[in-house]
Amino acid sequence: MFVAALFTILLTMALTLVRALRGPTVFDRILAVNMFGTSTVLGIAVIGFVTDRPDFLDIALVYALISFITTIATLKYFEYGSFGCGRREENG
Amino acid sequence: MTHHVVLRVVAKLIIPLILLFALYVQFHGDYGPGGGFQAGVIFSAALILYALVFGLDSAQRAVPTTAVRVLMALGVLLYGGVGITSMLLGGNFLEYDVFAAEPAAGQHLGILLVELGVGITVSTTMLAIFYAFAGRRAAR
Repeated sequence: MFVAALFTILLTMALTLVRALRGPTVFDRILAVNMFGTSTVLGIAVIGFVTDRPDFLDIALVYALISFITTIATLKYFEYGSFGCGRREENG
Repeated sequence: MTHHVVLRVVAKLIIPLILLFALYVQFHGDYGPGGGFQAGVIFSAALILYALVFGLDSAQRAVPTTAVRVLMALGVLLYGGVGITSMLLGGNFLEYDVFAAEPAAGQHLGILLVELGVGITVSTTMLAIFYAFAGRRAAR
């Protein structure tokens, strides 16, 4: 049962990769990468259940947190062209 | 990023959790997956998120570059210091058995200190790399 779920998640990841490669706008790609990260979190959790190692849930948790930061960083770079700008520079 | 209210609120909620999880990975590394390197990366990821959302200036006020530079060296010093101390106590370099009367307790203490040194160095080095990247435009 878990193996079937794992293969479904892998299929979803392949489809999101297609969208990330073909996506016409940059936002399609960012959304696809975000989706890919979410699928990876699910995949890691399912692998943990398949191999009977619940420690994998820790890794899935880390991946969820890090992929959130990745999305924020990418969006900020495309919006402002820099990682460093803060509140003051934005108004100028 | 004054207008992004949702982003700022979510970041404020999530940053303490990431820091807490980094400490969990650091100190639970003896029993589960984890260790100094991973914990350092997660810890610096939280600070990088803070810098992304609230600006580089706020992050550098929270963690000044001088502190980053000092802590980078301090972690390596802690690592090397543990090794040298074990040599002074009569063992080989990084032989933890000599730290306590019982070898298991000594190994526990030694691993804890070494991983702490690795964690401090890795997190501050990641942060220094990010500061260098993010401050590039301001310096030009």
